[in-house]
Amino acid sequence: MRNSGWAMTCVGGAGVLLTAVMSYTYAPLVQSPPFRSPEAYRILFWHVPFAWTSFLAFCLLFVGAIVWFLQRKEWGWNLFSTGSDLGLLFGLGVVISGPIWGSAEWGVPWDWGDLRLNTFGLLTAVALFIVLSRRSQPDGMDTRDTLSTIGLFGFALVPITAIATTVYQKRHPSVVIAQSDETGLDPKMLQVLIIGICSFWILMIGLSILTFLSYKLEYKLKNLLMSIDDEVVH
Amino acid sequence: MYVDAQPLIQISSLDIHRGNRLVISDVDLELSEGEVVALVGPNGCGKTTLIESSAGMHAISSGKISWRYGDSEMKIIRDSEGRRNSLPPMGLTLQKNGMSGEETVEERINTALVVSGCDVNEIQVSNLLNYWGLDHRNSDRVSQLSGGLARRLAVLSGLAPAVMSQNPRTVLLDEPSEGLDESGIILLVNWLRALASKGHGVMLATHDPRIILAADRVIRFDENNNLSEELQVQSLSNYELPIPTNEVKISKILSLFNWAYKMEKRNPVDTIGRFIPSVLALLMIHTLISEDEISVAGADFLAAMILLPSFISVVIPPALISRYAEENCGQWWAAVIGPKFRPVSSIIGSSIILPLPLIYVSWLVLSDNVVFAEEAGIFTWLWLPGLVMFSVAIAASALHLLVSDLRRTGASVVSLLMLILVWPFIELVDALVMIMNDGMSFGFSLDEPLSMIFLSFTVSILVWAISVYLPDA
Repeated sequence: MRNSGWAMTCVGGAGVLLTAVMSYTYAPLVQSPPFRSPEAYRILFWHVPFAWTSFLAFCLLFVGAIVWFLQRKEWGWNLFSTGSDLGLLFGLGVVISGPIWGSAEWGVPWDWGDLRLNTFGLLTAVALFIVLSRRSQPDGMDTRDTLSTIGLFGFALVPITAIATTVYQKRHPSVVIAQSDETGLDPKMLQVLIIGICSFWILMIGLSILTFLSYKLEYKLKNLLMSIDDEVVH
Repeated sequence: MYVDAQPLIQISSLDIHRGNRLVISDVDLELSEGEVVALVGPNGCGKTTLIESSAGMHAISSGKISWRYGDSEMKIIRDSEGRRNSLPPMGLTLQKNGMSGEETVEERINTALVVSGCDVNEIQVSNLLNYWGLDHRNSDRVSQLSGGLARRLAVLSGLAPAVMSQNPRTVLLDEPSEGLDESGIILLVNWLRALASKGHGVMLATHDPRIILAADRVIRFDENNNLSEELQVQSLSNYELPIPTNEVKISKILSLFNWAYKMEKRNPVDTIGRFIPSVLALLMIHTLISEDEISVAGADFLAAMILLPSFISVVIPPALISRYAEENCGQWWAAVIGPKFRPVSSIIGSSIILPLPLIYVSWLVLSDNVVFAEEAGIFTWLWLPGLVMFSVAIAASALHLLVSDLRRTGASVVSLLMLILVWPFIELVDALVMIMNDGMSFGFSLDEPLSMIFLSFTVSILVWAISVYLPDA
C-alpha cells in the first residue's frame, strides 16, 4: 500500500510538472479580446485541476467527519485528518492561483460579489482552521467531536457552492471541465487540461494513501506511548 | 437507611471516554432517597467524570443515565443514542466552583435556588448564608472572596436546593471538602447526614476520610477502574437544617437570561467591547473617505460601509463565553439548563442591541450629500437588514460557543470560521444596494432585495443550527 502511494505521488507529481511545461509549449495562445491578458490564461491549467482536486479532498474530509460523527471509527478520523490536510493544500493552490489570474484578467485579485470565489475561500479557511486546531488541541473524543462538527460546515457549503456556480454567477468564468458549445475549448487546450486534472487526481490519491497511512502509524504510536504511561504510573 | 427509599438516579452499563481513554467502563450504579454515596479512588480513576456524567454533562459511549422526576417514573437524561432531557430540580457543586467572579454571594445562592424551583425570600437566603458564615459578605462579589469562602459558597449552592425543598432531591458534590477549613468540613458532614435523614440523596466524590465516614455507601474505584462497594451503618441525624420553602414553577432559561443581564449590567464588557471597534470603524470610514469619494464609488461601496460597523459588532467574541470559562461556570449552567443550553446561550450571548442603531447611525453619518432616488424609502427600510443582522449575530455567537468547547480555546483561530459570515453580510449589502437604487420591492426573484435578505437569513440560521445542534447530537 505504501509503495503504491509513493508510486502514485511520483507519477502524479511528474504529470503536474508536465502540465506546466505543456501549458507553455503545446497549448495555443488565446485571443485578445475577449481575454484582457492572454498569457496569464495559462494558469488555468493548474487552477482548474487544483479546484477539482480540492473538491475531492473536501469530500474525503466530509465523509470522514460523518463517519466519525455517527460511528466514532478511528479510520473515519484518519480520513477526516487526511481530507483536511489535502483540502488545505489544494485549496490554497486554488486561492493563490485564482487571484494571480484575476489580477491579470479582471484587474482585481478578488471579487467579493462572487459567491463561488467566496465559498471556495471559506472552504479553505475551514480546512486551515481544522488543520491548525488539530495541531494545537489535545487529541480526544471531545476535540474530535467539535472539529468534525466544524468539518460539516464545509459539507453544507459544497452544495451551496455548486448552486452558486450556476445560479448566481458574476465575474468568475463558467465551469470548465469538458468541451461544449458554451466553453468552446480548443482541442489542444482540452488535452492539456485533461492531462492536468488526471495528474492532480493521481497525485492526490497518492498523497491521500501516504497521509492516511502516516496517521494510522501515529495512532499506533500514541497507543504505545499510553501503555508506557500506564506502566510508569502504576 | 431511609425506609421505602425510591431510586433517584439509575446508571446502567455506562461507558465514557475522556480524551482517548475509556475512563468509565460498564458501570451500574443507583442513588436512592436518604443515602449518601461516596465515590473514592486514586486521581484520574473517573470519580469526577461519573459525578459530571450523572448530571448529563458528558457524551456517553454506551449505557444510559436516568433520574426520577418528582413522584413519576424514571426518565432518561442522557444515553448513548443521543437522547437528552434536562435534569429535575437538583443541587450541584463542581470540582471548580462553577461561579462567575461577577455575581454577588446573595445572587449566587438565589440563582441556585430559583433554577431548582425554590420560592425564597431575602431573609431565607440570609439565614442560609448565616449557617455557613457568609451572611456578612452577602453583597460582595464572588471575586472578592478568599478561596476558602468561595468554596463554602459553592458547596452551599449545591446543598441549598435540597435543604430548601420539601421533596426528596438529588445533590451531586465533587470534592466538596477541598479548600474547606475544619469547621467547614464539620458543618458539611452535619448537613450531609441531616439531608439523608430527610430523604434526600447525595452522591459525592472525595478523598477526605471524615466525609467518607459520613457516607451510607462507599464505592471504591481501583487502579483498573473496577468498582467495589462497602456499606456503613449511620444513625438518623437530629441536626437542625433551615426550614424548607414552597416550590414554584421553574423557568431555567429566564434565570440564565436574568443572570447574564445582571452580569453585563454590572460590568458591561460585552457592550463596550462591541461598541468601541464598530464606532472606531465608522469614524475611520468617515474621516478617511470623503463624501465625494463615496459618491463616486457608488451604492455598492456605501451599502457595505453602512453595514460594516454593525457587522464588526456582531462577530466580536461574546463576553458571556469568558464568564462561562471562569471557574467552569458555563458547565454548571450547562448541567442546569440541559440540552437547550447551547441554543439559548448563543442567543443571550449575541449582540442584540447594537446592530440596528449602528446601521441607522452609519447611514446618517455616511449618506450626507449622497443623493439616491429612493432616499426616503431607504431610511424606512433600513431596519430590515438590521433585523437580519441579528441572525448573523446569533450565528457568530454560536460559532464562538462551538470553538469554546475546545480545551485550548485560546489556541484556536476562530476568526477563520467567522469568514463564513462574510457571505450573509455580502447578501445584505446586495439587498441594501437594491433598496438604494430601486426602492423596496416585495418580489422573490434574485434581483429583488427580499430574496437577498431571505438568503442572508437562511445562511445565518443554517450556520447557527449546525453550531448549536450538531455538537450535542
